[in-house]
Amino acid sequence: MDSSKNAVFDAVVIGGGIAGLQSALDLAGQGYKTAVVEKDASIGGKMIRLSKVFPTLDCASCITTPKMAAAAHHENITLYTWCDVQRVEKDATGVSVSMIQRPRYVDIDKCIGCRKCEYNCPVLVPDTEQGGFSGRKAIRIPFSNAIPQKALLDVENCMLCGKCADVCPTKAIRYDQKPEPRRIAAKTAILATGYELSSVTGKPQYGNGDIPNVIDSLQMERLLAPHGPYGRVLRPSDGMIPDSIAYVQCAGSRDASMGVSYCSRFCCMYAVKQAMLLSGSLPLADITIYYMDIRAFGKNYEQFYQNAKAMGIEFVKAKVASLDAGQGGAVTVRYEDQTGEGATSRDHDLVVLSMGVLPGFAPGGVCPVGLGPDGFIQSVLPKLSPSVTDLEGVFVAGVAAGPKDIVDTITEAGAAAMQAAKYLTALSGKAPGAANKESSHE
Amino acid sequence: MSEPQRAKAPDAGEQAKVGVYICYCGGNISDHVDVEKVRERMETVPGVAVARTNMFMCSDPGQELIMEDLRQGRINRVVVASCAPSLHESTFRSAIARAGGNPYQYEHANIREQVSWVHHGQAATDKASRLIAAATGKARTLTPLEPLRVTARRHAVVIGGGIAGMRAALDLADMGVRVALVEKTPYLGGGVSRLVRLAPTGEDAAHLVTTLARRILEHPGITVHAGSAVTTFGGYVGNFTLGVSPVPGACAPAGETWPGGYVPGKGVLVPPSPDGGAITLETGVVVLATGFASYIPRPGEYGFGENAEVVTLPDLIQKIGGLEGQRGGTLVIDGRPIRSMALIHCVGSRQIPGIHEEDANGHLNEHCSRVCCTSAINTANAIREACPQTSVYELYRDIRTYGRGQEELYAKASGNRVVFMRFGADQAPVVQRGAPGSGHPLKVTVTDQLTFGEELEVPVDLVVLATGMEPGPVADLVEMLKLPVGADRFLLETHPKLRPVELPIAGIFLAGTCQAPMDAGETCNAASAAAVKAVSLLSKGYVELDPFVAEVDVRRCTGTGACVQACLNPGAIALETMDIDGRPVTRARVTPALCLGCGACVAVCPENAIDINGWTLAQYEAMVDMIVSDAVCQDSGAVPETVGA
Amino acid sequence: MGSQTGATAQDKILLLATESCAYPGADSVGQAHASYPANVYVLKVKAPVLFPEKFYLDCFRKGIGGIIIMSCGEECPYEGAYKAMAKRLDRVYELMKEEGLDIRRLRLTAICTVCNRAFLNEVNQMNQIVHELSPPVQAP
Ligand SMILES: Cc1cc2nc3c(=O)[nH]c(=O)nc-3n(C[C@H](O)[C@H](O)[C@H](O)COP(=O)(O)OP(=O)(O)OC[C@H]3O[C@@H](n4cnc5c(N)ncnc54)[C@H](O)[C@@H]3O)c2cc1C
Ligand SMILES: Cc1cc2nc3c(=O)[nH]c(=O)nc-3n(C[C@H](O)[C@H](O)[C@H](O)COP(=O)(O)OP(=O)(O)OC[C@H]3O[C@@H](n4cnc5c(N)ncnc54)[C@H](O)[C@@H]3O)c2cc1C
Ligand code: SF4
Ligand code: SF4
Ligand code: SF4
Ligand code: SF4
Repeated sequence: MDSSKNAVFDAVVIGGGIAGLQSALDLAGQGYKTAVVEKDASIGGKMIRLSKVFPTLDCASCITTPKMAAAAHHENITLYTWCDVQRVEKDATGVSVSMIQRPRYVDIDKCIGCRKCEYNCPVLVPDTEQGGFSGRKAIRIPFSNAIPQKALLDVENCMLCGKCADVCPTKAIRYDQKPEPRRIAAKTAILATGYELSSVTGKPQYGNGDIPNVIDSLQMERLLAPHGPYGRVLRPSDGMIPDSIAYVQCAGSRDASMGVSYCSRFCCMYAVKQAMLLSGSLPLADITIYYMDIRAFGKNYEQFYQNAKAMGIEFVKAKVASLDAGQGGAVTVRYEDQTGEGATSRDHDLVVLSMGVLPGFAPGGVCPVGLGPDGFIQSVLPKLSPSVTDLEGVFVAGVAAGPKDIVDTITEAGAAAMQAAKYLTALSGKAPGAANKESSHE
Repeated sequence: MSEPQRAKAPDAGEQAKVGVYICYCGGNISDHVDVEKVRERMETVPGVAVARTNMFMCSDPGQELIMEDLRQGRINRVVVASCAPSLHESTFRSAIARAGGNPYQYEHANIREQVSWVHHGQAATDKASRLIAAATGKARTLTPLEPLRVTARRHAVVIGGGIAGMRAALDLADMGVRVALVEKTPYLGGGVSRLVRLAPTGEDAAHLVTTLARRILEHPGITVHAGSAVTTFGGYVGNFTLGVSPVPGACAPAGETWPGGYVPGKGVLVPPSPDGGAITLETGVVVLATGFASYIPRPGEYGFGENAEVVTLPDLIQKIGGLEGQRGGTLVIDGRPIRSMALIHCVGSRQIPGIHEEDANGHLNEHCSRVCCTSAINTANAIREACPQTSVYELYRDIRTYGRGQEELYAKASGNRVVFMRFGADQAPVVQRGAPGSGHPLKVTVTDQLTFGEELEVPVDLVVLATGMEPGPVADLVEMLKLPVGADRFLLETHPKLRPVELPIAGIFLAGTCQAPMDAGETCNAASAAAVKAVSLLSKGYVELDPFVAEVDVRRCTGTGACVQACLNPGAIALETMDIDGRPVTRARVTPALCLGCGACVAVCPENAIDINGWTLAQYEAMVDMIVSDAVCQDSGAVPETVGA
Repeated sequence: MGSQTGATAQDKILLLATESCAYPGADSVGQAHASYPANVYVLKVKAPVLFPEKFYLDCFRKGIGGIIIMSCGEECPYEGAYKAMAKRLDRVYELMKEEGLDIRRLRLTAICTVCNRAFLNEVNQMNQIVHELSPPVQAP
C-alpha cells in the first residue's frame, strides 16, 4: 500500500472491481509491477456488494474477498483507493495517469481498522452501502468486508466533536488531511471502470423514485445479503414482511425512449436469482417477474431459469407500462398481458426495478479512448481480441466494454491482461517470437 | 524429468523453542483479555522459551521482537496471538523469513475476531490462554518446509485449431512459449470457417480465419500438427508427455492448395506435419480448445430428414454464402425460389425433461446455445435486405440478443419486417407438407403467444432449424486426461468465477466452446484468459506449489493401499515397489505435484503412516489436548470446577 | 452474552472450520462483535475429510462436549471431499452409538464467509445440546 506521489509501474489498471482485480492479478502473476486505481474507498466493485451470485448461488463475499485479499497482499500490486482520475495520457513513452487522492481524514498507515472511532462517533447518517436502509457513522470502515479495512471520515456530516480522535488507539485521525495529487507512469493501461445502474428519478412511468416500496435491484441485493441492513427481507416503508414481490425487467433497457436501447444483459439472471433467494427466505411469498424475453444464455443459466420456474416463481411475459402507489403501501403494476387479458394491473407489496446498466466512467476530457454509440468503451477487434481499444497499449475489461456478468467479466479481464502482457513483451525489445527463434532448432 | 524436491529435510531432532507474542491491538484485545496474565500463563507452557507482549505486534517494533529472538537463537518456532490470520499471518511469516527462520514454523492464534470481539471478562482471558497454548502445542512439532518446486518446460500443447486454439497459441507464442498446435482435421479454423458474416459486427469469417492461420503458420514458435490427434498422455504440471499420431484418413482432397489457402466450410489448409508418423511432445502445459459440434436433428424432428425443404441454420448459412447474385427479388436456393421461409429457434437446445425427447443415449440438451438467436436474426436480416420478396418468419421462445450490438440487430429485424412468433416450450411448432395447391411445399403451424395464443398456419418454401451447440466428441481425451465433465457434457471448469479457465488438474486449461457455447469474441477472450494463466504458470521456469501435501512414512506404511482408494485426485498417491533394508516391499508414494493436500488419505490409513505436512493429525491432537487441559487455567464461571486437572 | 456461566471442563465445543469458508465466517462474526459462548474453540482445517473416525471419538474421550464440522458444503474446493466425509460421519455416528454417545454431539454443516446468523445458530444449538446432556466422560 505504499503509494508515493510519483510512481512508475509496468501497468496501471483503472477500476478495482472484479475485472480490474483479475487483470491486475494476472499481470502481477507474471512479475509485472501493477497499480490499481480505484475511485471508491474499497476495492471490490459491485460484486463485493452482492448477496449471492448466479448460477452457482455461492456467496458473493466468499468468492470476491479471496481475490481482493490476493491483490492487496500481492508484492507486485499497489492499490490506490479513494482516487479521482484527472487525466489518462498516452504518448510514445507510455501511459501517465494524473489523479487526486481524496482525504480519508485518517492516516491509513496507522489505522488498524478496529472501529473504535466508528462506535464512538455520535453522527448517524443513511448508509448507501446498505441501500440507504440502515445507518452509518460519520467515521466508519466503509463496509464489513472492505479492503483496505481502514476508517473513512465523511466531512459533510462530521461535527468535529473530536470523539474519534480521543478514542483512536493509534492516533490515526487527521482532521487536517488534504487532497493529494499523484501521478503514475506505466507502459500499458487497462480500463476496468465498470458500470452504474440508471436512476429511477426522471422515469415518470416508474414514479420518479417517489413511490414507496419501489426499489432497485442493487438495493434488493443488500436486503438479501446475510450481512444486510435488516438481516432479512423487509419492506422498507413499514418493515412489513412482503407477501408479494414483483420484478420489472428491462426497466429502462431495450427502450431508446428511456435512454438505454441495448440489453443490460445480466438483469434477467439476477432477477431469477433474487427470486430464488426470496423464495428461500420468504417461502410464503408470491414472486412475479414481468419480462419481455428471459435471457438465460450462459453456462447453466437456462437450467437455473427452469429451476426457478419449477419452484413456482411466476413469469409474466409483459412490458410494464407504469407503476403507481397502491393501498397500504402496495404498488400497482400496470401492464399489457401478451397471453390474453390485454391491459391489466396487479398490486404487489414490493417492486424491484431491474434498471439499465450505464457506463461507470465517462472518459470525455480525461482519456482519449474511443466509445461506442452506447457510451461504453469501444473494442476495435470485437471478435479476435475484444479487449483491444483504439488507443495503442490501452486495453479494456469487464462491464467497461459493455454489460457482462461476472463469469464473462473475469474471462475478459484475463484476456486484457494477456494482451497487455504481449504489448509489454513487444515493447521490451524481445520482439514477438524472438525468444523462439533460438530455441526452435531443438 | 524433474521430480519435485524438498529443499531441506525436516530437522526432527532439533529441540523446539517456541516464542509466543501477544498483541494488545491498542486495546482491541487488551480491553477484554488480560494480556499480561496470558503472558504469565504462557511462560509455564512446556516448550515455550519466551513469551512477550506488544501494543501492536504488526508494527515494526512488534515484528522486531520476533526477529531479534530468532536471530539470538532464543527461539525456533513462533506463535503470534493477535487479529485474524487473514490480516497479518503473512506479515509475521515474512518477518521470520527476514530473520533467517523458516516461515512455516509459525502458528497463529486468533484472539481478536475469535476472542476479544466475541467474549468478555475472565472467559475471554481463559479462552485466549487455551487457544494460544493450543497454538504452541502445534508449533512445537512444526517442521521446516519449503514450497515445492517443479521445473516446468516453457512449452505448451494446444489441442484444437479453431479460433480458440489459434488465439491461445498465438498469445502463448508471442510471450516466448513454444507451442505445438494439434488439430485433427487438415484445416485450421473450426466452426468459424462454416460461417460467412459474423453477427453482430459483420466481420468476414474467411478473413478472421486466414488472419489467425497465416500468423500461426508464419510464427517460428508454433508447430502445427494438422490431421493429428493426441493418443497418449502422462505426467503432471510442468512435465506432461503427449503422444500425437496422424488421424487415419484426415487428409485434404487432391487439388486443394497449401499452405494458407482458405477453403470455405473447412478453413485454412495446413501442410502435413513434417514428422509424418507418431511423435511425442514434452510440454509444461496443455490448453484444450476442442470446440463444439452442431446439433443434428433427429429424423422427423420438425420434418428434418423427411423433407428436403427442411435444413439447419449452419447449412443455410453455407448455402447462401454472401448472397452474391441474389440482389433484388426472391431468394433462390438450389434453383428453387423461396418466397416464404420459417426459422425455428432452440432446435436441440433448451430441452426440458418431460417435454422433450431424450436422444439415443438418454441425453437432453438443457442448455441454451447462446449464439443461435443472434445468428438466426443476422441471417434473416441479410436475406430480407438482399431479397425483399422473401418473407421471413422467426419462431422463437425467447429472443436472446444479449450482447453488445445484438439488440440492435433484433430492432433492425423488426424494421426489415421479419415476422416474429413466440411459442411455448410445450407447444412446439409443427412442420407438415403444405396443402396441395397452396403453392408451398410445407406449412408450419404455431400457437403464437404474441397474438394472444392464436393458432397460425404459415405456408413456407423452406424451414430452417436453428440448431444449437453440443460438446464436441472428446470422450477419448476425457478418458485419457481424466477431465471433469458437467451435467451438460461440456468440459467443466474448477469454479466458474474463481477459476473459470482452469481444471482441478494443475497445468491444463480450457479455451472456448469446449467449455460452453460462446460466440467468436467470447471464445477469443476465453482463449486469451487461458493463455495468460498458462504464461503465468510458466513465467518462472518452475512451478511453486504449496508444501502442504501428503507424505508417507515408509517405515510405518504396510502397503494396504487404502489411501490410494481414498485419494480424491487419482494418481497423486500410488503403491510402488521399493527397497527397504535390502528387501523389496510395496509402499505408498505421493507425487507432490499432483497432491491436493485435502487429507482424504490421512483419515483412512490404518497404520497412521500418512500426514499432510504442516497440518498433521498429531498436531490437531496436540491442540485438542491443550484446549481441554486445565494446566494453563482453571475454567471460569459461577459454577466451581467439578473435576480437577 | 453467552452461557459461559456453568461451564465445566467437559463442555467445550470444537469447531472444525474450513480455511476457505467457515473460518473466515467465524471471523466475520467477530467483526460484527456478535458474542457467543466462550466454550467454543475454532480449529482451522483445509478439509475436514482429513480426520479419521478415531479423532472424533478421542475428542469426546478427552472431554470435548460437542463438535461442529463447518465445511464449505457445495463450494468445497476439493472435489469429492464433502461426499467422502459425509460417508465417514455415518460410521462415526455408528461408533458413537456403540459407545453410548448421543450423536447430536457431532454435527456437519456448511458455513459461508458471511453467514453470521447461521454460525451463531449452530453454536447456540450445540451449546444447548451439550448442556442438556451429561458430560461425555466421567471424571477420573
Ligand atoms: C443487482 C445486480 C445483481 C447482480 N448479480 C450478479 C450475479 O449474481 N452473477 C453475476 O455473474 N453477475 C451479477 N451481476 C453483474 C456484476 O455486478 C458485474 O458483472 C460485475 O460487477 C462487473 O465487474 P466490473 O469489475 O466490470 O465492474 P464494477 O463492479 O462496476 O467495478 C468497476 C470499478 O471501477 C471503479 N471505477 C469506476 N470508474 C472509475 C474511475 N474513473 N476511476 C477509478 N475507478 C473507477 C468503480 O468504483 C468500481 O470499483 C449483478 C449486477 C447487479 C446490478
Ligand atoms: C449456427 C452457428 C452460428 C454462429 N454464428 C456466429 C456469429 O454470427 N458470430 C459469432 O461470433 N459466433 C458465431 N458462432 C459461434 C462460433 O462458431 C464459435 O464461437 C467458434 O467457432 C468457437 O470456436 P472454438 O475454437 O471454441 O471451437 P471450434 O470452432 O469448434 O474449433 C474446434 C477445433 O478443434 C478441433 N478438434 C476437436 N477435437 C479435437 C481433438 N480431439 N484433437 C484435435 N483437434 C480437435 C476441431 O476440428 C476444430 O478445428 C456460431 C455458431 C453456430 C453453431
Ligand atoms: S479508531 Fe483509529 S485505528 Fe481504529 S479504525 Fe478508527 S481510525 Fe482506525
Ligand atoms: S469528529 Fe466527526 S467523525 Fe469523529 S466522532 Fe466526531 S462526528 Fe464522528
Ligand atoms: S437482461 Fe433481460 S431484463 Fe435486462 S435488459 Fe436484457 S432482456 Fe431486459
Ligand atoms: S440462443 Fe436463442 S435459439 Fe439458441 S438456444 Fe438460446 S434461446 Fe434458443
